[in-house]
Amino acid sequence: MAKEPSRNERIKEASDYLRGTLAEGLRDAITGSIVEDDAQLVKFHGMYLQDDRDLRGERSAKKMEKAFAFMLRVRISGGVLTSAQWLSLDKIARHYGNRTMRITTRQTVQLHGVIKSNLKSTLKAIDAAALSTIAACGDVNRNVMCNPNPHQSKAHRAAYDLAVALSAHLVPRTPAYREIWLDGERIVGGEDEVVEPIYGKTYLPRKFKIGVAVPPSNDIDVFANDLGFIAIVAPDGTVAGWNVAVGGGMGMTHGEPQTYPRTADVMGFCRSEDAVAVAEAVVTVQRDWGDRSDRKHARLKYTIDDHGLDAFRAEVERRAGVTLAAAKPFTFTSTGDRYGWTESEDGRHHLTLYIENGRVGDVPGKPMLTGMRKIAERHDGGMHLTPNQNAIVANVAAKDRDAIERLAAEHGLMPPAGGLRRNAMACVALPTCGLALAESERYLPHLVSALEARLAAHDLAADDIVIRMTGCPNGCARPYLAEIGVVGKGPGRYNLYLGAAFDGSRMNKLYAEDLQHDDIVAKLDPLLAAYAKERQADERFGAFLIRAGYVAQTNNGRDFHADAGPQRVV
Amino acid sequence: RTAPFAEEEIEILNRVVGTANPLQRAWLAGFLAGIDAQSGHARAEPAAPPRAAEPITIVFASESGNSERLAADMAKLARKRGLKPAVVDMADLEVASLPASKRLVVIAATWGEGEPPARAASAYAGLMGEGAPRLDGVEFAVLALGDTAYVEFCAIGKAIDARLEALGGKRVAERADLDLDFAEPAARWIESAVTALAPKTDAASPSGAPSGGRVIEVDFGAAAEPNLGPFEAEVTAHVDLNSSRSDKETIHLELAFDGKAPAYNPGDSLDLHVHNDPAYVDALLQAAGLGSDASLRDELIASRDVTTLSLKTVENYAGATGHQYVKALLETGEARDWIAGRQLIDLIAHFPIAISAEQLRALTRPLAPRAYSIASSRREVGEEAHLLVSAVRYQSHGRERAGVASGYVAERLKKGAHVRVKLRPNKHFALPAPERDIIMVGPGTGIAPFRAFVQERRAVSATGKSWLFFGDRNFTHDFLYQLEWQDALNDGALTRMDVAFSRDQPEKIYVQDRLWERRRELVEWLETGAHFYVCGDAKAMAKDVRATLVRAYADVKALPPDAAERAVVELERGKRYLQDVY
Ligand code: SRM
Ligand SMILES: Cc1cc2nc3c(=O)[nH]c(=O)nc-3n(C[C@H](O)[C@H](O)[C@H](O)COP(=O)(O)OP(=O)(O)OC[C@H]3O[C@@H](n4cnc5c(N)ncnc54)[C@H](O)[C@@H]3O)c2cc1C
Ligand SMILES: Cc1cc2nc3c(=O)[nH]c(=O)nc-3n(C[C@H](O)[C@H](O)[C@H](O)COP(=O)(O)O)c2cc1C
Ligand code: SF4
Repeated sequence: MAKEPSRNERIKEASDYLRGTLAEGLRDAITGSIVEDDAQLVKFHGMYLQDDRDLRGERSAKKMEKAFAFMLRVRISGGVLTSAQWLSLDKIARHYGNRTMRITTRQTVQLHGVIKSNLKSTLKAIDAAALSTIAACGDVNRNVMCNPNPHQSKAHRAAYDLAVALSAHLVPRTPAYREIWLDGERIVGGEDEVVEPIYGKTYLPRKFKIGVAVPPSNDIDVFANDLGFIAIVAPDGTVAGWNVAVGGGMGMTHGEPQTYPRTADVMGFCRSEDAVAVAEAVVTVQRDWGDRSDRKHARLKYTIDDHGLDAFRAEVERRAGVTLAAAKPFTFTSTGDRYGWTESEDGRHHLTLYIENGRVGDVPGKPMLTGMRKIAERHDGGMHLTPNQNAIVANVAAKDRDAIERLAAEHGLMPPAGGLRRNAMACVALPTCGLALAESERYLPHLVSALEARLAAHDLAADDIVIRMTGCPNGCARPYLAEIGVVGKGPGRYNLYLGAAFDGSRMNKLYAEDLQHDDIVAKLDPLLAAYAKERQADERFGAFLIRAGYVAQTNNGRDFHADAGPQRVV
Repeated sequence: RTAPFAEEEIEILNRVVGTANPLQRAWLAGFLAGIDAQSGHARAEPAAPPRAAEPITIVFASESGNSERLAADMAKLARKRGLKPAVVDMADLEVASLPASKRLVVIAATWGEGEPPARAASAYAGLMGEGAPRLDGVEFAVLALGDTAYVEFCAIGKAIDARLEALGGKRVAERADLDLDFAEPAARWIESAVTALAPKTDAASPSGAPSGGRVIEVDFGAAAEPNLGPFEAEVTAHVDLNSSRSDKETIHLELAFDGKAPAYNPGDSLDLHVHNDPAYVDALLQAAGLGSDASLRDELIASRDVTTLSLKTVENYAGATGHQYVKALLETGEARDWIAGRQLIDLIAHFPIAISAEQLRALTRPLAPRAYSIASSRREVGEEAHLLVSAVRYQSHGRERAGVASGYVAERLKKGAHVRVKLRPNKHFALPAPERDIIMVGPGTGIAPFRAFVQERRAVSATGKSWLFFGDRNFTHDFLYQLEWQDALNDGALTRMDVAFSRDQPEKIYVQDRLWERRRELVEWLETGAHFYVCGDAKAMAKDVRATLVRAYADVKALPPDAAERAVVELERGKRYLQDVY
């Protein structure tokens, strides 16, 4: 017995394929905002209506509405940008944005602070750079992730090609985007099937995310995706096919145990030529089976837990006309980036830069935006974005290495020494994110500094330990897959999660709640001390905490909330 | 006795008419005329002196009303002296008709950087141009108003004075060039000028009235000057309307008057009396070596203009101190450039020399009040008046400078404090009948009077349409009164609004660009009788807006440039293109 569809479902239904009243809304120059329903629809076009929360307090006394502005998320498959495209985005950020580019945890760029009157100019400039923002957000398939360096090996190239193919196959077909933002002619849409053959009028029940991983690196956190493909590499280095993982997702809500983060289940193996068909089947099953009445229960992860993995697999096989083989063995070793220079099969060189929390701006002592621009100006091999909010200067000829590295160093783009900072990631949160309960991007660097003092004391300064912070439980920086997860609860207050696997295969556990800065350091210090003393050879911090019995192990989403808290007196 | 009334009748008349407002006066006039018409009596000439009086034409070129008021004063005196004055706004002057007036007085202010008041511009051009008529046999006198702070001090008065002579006129009174503190010198000049122009035969009886008889001035036409104040006001609100991220600071001031607020109308301004920055005055006294003089300090802070540096000031300084370098500066003619962007303190700090309190005092002129457009309508705010003050701050010659008045308002005037204001009526910037459409162009603080307009039109539920153009730097940080405009658009007090924010995008966009984009509707509104108002920056904006309107006419109506220009001049003459710029 189907329940009432959620408000968003009615908005989509009535939107005439995502048009709504956006065109009119843009013409009203006296407000920087748009009407509520359009604010939902505009996400499908890759934008969010936000307001500068730092300014909220003063606005009404000054007789001004909230400081509205839009966040734009670019659609970039696998994080691969040409140098020219980087330069275009850099210019757009300086002309229309807040003079920063924000590299995201899904390998794309977000521009913040674009006011309504500049939206069209901005989107036209993005279009001119052969880029788009369509479906970067919304209840559709988002940016498809994959290892950011196709040049590294044949397998990486195959992974990238698959990411691009999936992205292209699952992109919305509605002409609304061209009409509204690029002054395209209104093309009269015919039948549902014609306009949106895969999605139909109401698209998906919720956002949908795909990632393609090439072992041993799990840099994309494949298990955090609704749908994941894991390359199974043949001895000759080509891809024999893909393990298919389904039902990953991080989001949950404090105090609502029926919501939980979940790592994807590997449900089988498919041949390369079947991958796109399998993906489409997964999408359409979710389209038809997903919960459209409760958005907090609409992601694929709940669909699978509700129907059971076997039933789900069967339906996917039926729709795809493909029988999945048993999953093939694979091993991941880490989720982080390989900083510094790497050399690929083709003899090209690639420099992975370090960008704290992905925020590329010009700050005192660290003119990163300028630095990236200078690099992109003298280097045409491409600028790639990593799943850990970093960037890669790709395809550098040996002779240019020194010059590029010098530019990077001069502009504060080289990685730090600290093992914690190298593996740190924070979501955006304040001031732009409307859902933030606490600071994240602006706070994590300070927390890391405080912890680095303790790590040094325990002689752990150089050890790689993954720490991730988010300003709310939605999990944008995948904090539940971090050895140390710090999740905002309220202003200045955080929940601490511990014990995730270094390779991204196991989530962490709630260890302590409502901690303020000093409490976080105080809670971690003795555990770090114990780790320094009692760890076994090559034992990671997360693994240690479980073996030593400090925290209970999380096996999957459904037991994520179980056995919270310290399991052993410190 | 010329007035056909008995003493007590006169008393009564004065009591009734003296206090009557313009409406009542007008009614009275009509009423009497009506009676005459019925009873067939010849209508009495109430204002006329005993016998055929000599006509005198008093032309004024005014922007903010000073010259206009002086013209009225002069007319009163002239009438007393047996002349028959006709007061003419230069805006309406037919230059060709000048030779007809045998007695001509021009009272002219200078604006912009040595330019004529906007309204007077075309007549002024006519007077200066080839086509100007000969004025042989015309007796004239010119009074120039200005501000020594400007390099082009009284430029317009001077030019007119010279021009009238060149056209053959006979100067009967020496021109006076008056600074901001013009009240007494102006009165003296008027006295002497009227004497010089009055018919010589009357010289015996300066009152211009037959001996013994008492002339009563029962002038049915003239309006009663409202009470201009000064009024004491309390600051009940003091809000910087720009966001904390803005590089601008624009203060919304709410002034409450215990008892009654001045009887202002939308379009009027208030003169704000302020104090100098004590810190500046201390620095000045230090530089002058008069640091210990407390009473001088108080006086300078409260009532002297201690910032303005004019050529006159430099001359006085050289004269008073005999400072060699300062003299040299004047002799080489470098002084003119040197004073640009500098203030009195720069002169004294740069050329220090022993100077007495009296000498320093003598270098300053009285501190003049500053005018601010009233941003409210009494119909909406009652016994209050709101002002919108933009803080003037800049850096020049290595010093941080702040405007005297706006700095006072922004930095030292606090909620609960008291200020003194005077009303500055401006009947040339008033709203039309409620059913008329209006177009308002007011970027920056130019928006102030239009807030009053919109409040007023809402209060009287005006049926005319209204269209507002606003502009500033950034939409997010400088959109003055944004929420109020949103309300006005919702409740219909405002029909439409267009905005131009210059720094939101790489290319600059100003209000005139929006006017141009909307030129079709704009001309359409004007063709159907809309009144066009411009307020704010005089230097660039007002000129650009006018030029844009001319281009708009040319483009929309396919007119040659001169015809388009004429179309706009027509609007100005028809009092439908009105501006209050500064
Ligand atoms: C920019 C980014 C974080 C970052 O620091 O990089 C981000 C930022 C936001 N996310 Fe996210 N999410 C980002 C990756 C993620 C991830 C990580 C991932 O996908 O690997 C997750 C967890 C995985 C998942 O989807 O479960 C994630 C789970 C969410 C959720 C919770 C979704 C759920 O079903 O539970 C929300 C809230 C929602 O959708 O209702 C959300 C919503 C948001 C919004 C748009 C807030 C909003 O809805 O108003 C944030 C915009 C903040 C801002 O001002 O920029 N974001 N978000 C990441 C952009 C990714 C991209 O380029 O597409
Ligand atoms: C009819 C009328 C209405 C007005 N309405 C308003 C209103 O509504 N709101 C409002 O804010 N103002 C209004 N003004 C202007 C106002 O009267 C003052 O002129 C203004 O506030 C500056 O006065 P001040 O005492 O602060 O600055 P002052 O001490 O008078 O200093 C101003 C002088 O400083 C110099 N200066 C300024 N900037 C620079 C610079 N960047 N470089 C070098 N020199 C510079 C110039 O010589 C300028 O004349 C109006 C003026 C008039 C005549
Ligand atoms: C914006 C502005 C510009 C002015 N420019 C000059 C000028 O260039 N030369 C001058 O002598 N006086 C100048 N003045 C001073 C005026 O002439 C003076 O205030 C005069 O009293 C105004 O008379 P009105 O009210 O009849 O217009 C200027 C005043 C303002 C507000
Ligand atoms: S995790 Fe929460 S606070 Fe951080 S960006 Fe995502 S939604 Fe915003």
